[in-house]
Amino acid sequence: MVSINYAFREVSCKIVYYGPGLSGKTTNLQYVHKKVPTQVRGELISLATDTDRTLFFDFLPLNLGAIQGFSTKFQLYTVPGQVFYNATRKLVLRGVDGLVFVADSQLSKMEENKESLNNLLENLKGYGYQIEDIPMILQYNKRDLPEVATIEQLQDVLNHWNAPYYEAVAVKGIGVFDTLKGICKLVIENLKAKTQVTPPLESQPSSVATVVPAAAVPAPGKSIPLGRGIDTTEVIPSQIRERYQPSPFSKAEPVTTLRPDQKVSIALGQPQIRRVSELRAPLQPDVIIPRARPQISKADLEWKPVLGRPQRPRKEESIQPRKQSILVRFLKFLIGA
Amino acid sequence: MKQDNLVIYEEEIQQIDRLLMKLLKGAEAKCTLLVDKDGHLVTRQGFTHSLDTTALAALLAGSFASTREIARLVGEPEFSVLFHQGKKDHIHISLVGERSILVVIFDDRTTIGMVRLYAKEIGEELGLVLSGSKTRKPQASRAMTNEYAQSAESKLDDLLHE
Repeated sequence: MVSINYAFREVSCKIVYYGPGLSGKTTNLQYVHKKVPTQVRGELISLATDTDRTLFFDFLPLNLGAIQGFSTKFQLYTVPGQVFYNATRKLVLRGVDGLVFVADSQLSKMEENKESLNNLLENLKGYGYQIEDIPMILQYNKRDLPEVATIEQLQDVLNHWNAPYYEAVAVKGIGVFDTLKGICKLVIENLKAKTQVTPPLESQPSSVATVVPAAAVPAPGKSIPLGRGIDTTEVIPSQIRERYQPSPFSKAEPVTTLRPDQKVSIALGQPQIRRVSELRAPLQPDVIIPRARPQISKADLEWKPVLGRPQRPRKEESIQPRKQSILVRFLKFLIGA
Repeated sequence: MKQDNLVIYEEEIQQIDRLLMKLLKGAEAKCTLLVDKDGHLVTRQGFTHSLDTTALAALLAGSFASTREIARLVGEPEFSVLFHQGKKDHIHISLVGERSILVVIFDDRTTIGMVRLYAKEIGEELGLVLSGSKTRKPQASRAMTNEYAQSAESKLDDLLHE
């Protein structure tokens, strides 16, 4: 699935190199990394075992730079080829935009090629993708080795979709760039074809999206694949279209207000709600009503012993001078003290 | 194909950026990234200049995907939060909406609790914004014109030669 980011003006596509173990997928990427100008490529990241077998994936980002104002990026991934890494292999396929199937041309590896191809189909099915909808290229690698199958044999066994193919010797770099260019162009073609068929929302009969986010999962397998050159207005018979596009005289009142718990399905002809933010009341700062706080003096917070008898507060004994009698005062006055 | 392209418009990014900024300030984290589950970077905020965000996005998505698979094997629908602890820097990864991953990178100036709290709160708001973008009417292809395809192809020919 191509990511088009209008904010960063960026288009990003994911290309996956698939194929049996040791067929040369990582070698393809390494060669591209070695030969491509440095401003184009990013770092080649390899999640490999100690013996340099791919464990999870290899990743090489390529940035073609600005094209018509959009910075165009291709992200190349490889999968681990070994059979028992199927779990991770499947993960890499998620959201793939273009496939390169790297086949080992040696006659002895024919069975492995077939097995890997079947595994690819199975894994794609697991995500609900159709292989016909994904641009694919076959690369018949290791053409320089003795005892290789002929192209006809390989085509017969592996290429059931009449996909373009390239012969290659990946260690020497033969055919590596042709394959890459081929798949990149196919992906762009496909992207163009897909985005140019811009169906209005009304003509997507099954895209029932709900405003409640938890339920906003599109029903899998239901939507019509927007493949090359399909005019979606033709997909729906005109009677049905009319039925879902109410005439201006229809009495149906548009739903304008929504309760927050109300689910709205954007089906055909219903009032369109494009964004959740339109439905929600604008966020306002919570009004905090100041509550009268109980007056707590500092003494209340101090720790007091609870064991035993509470001490009675001691009365401060003020030492006051004793009142002197009138006689004493008179005597003092006489002395002059 | 089952899914359509991921298309992100400027208005959404502005909203998302604002939320991420709020998260950054609130949790005092170093940077945050929003990554698509397929490994595409949606947006980023904070000190990301020293980071290779493209590779980071791909690896984080891979890591999250494998964790999800582990969860499935264990019999759990999904581990929605992932936390990597390092000596200086730590990473908090959480699922947002249907198909995005919120990544927060932070160090010892803040605590995991704060990051978790804010990531959860902001994550819910982000989920709303993202699901809003999903129900949007697809806009006409502003990017993918014939000229785009042509110039992309000629650029490919320019750059990819031996």
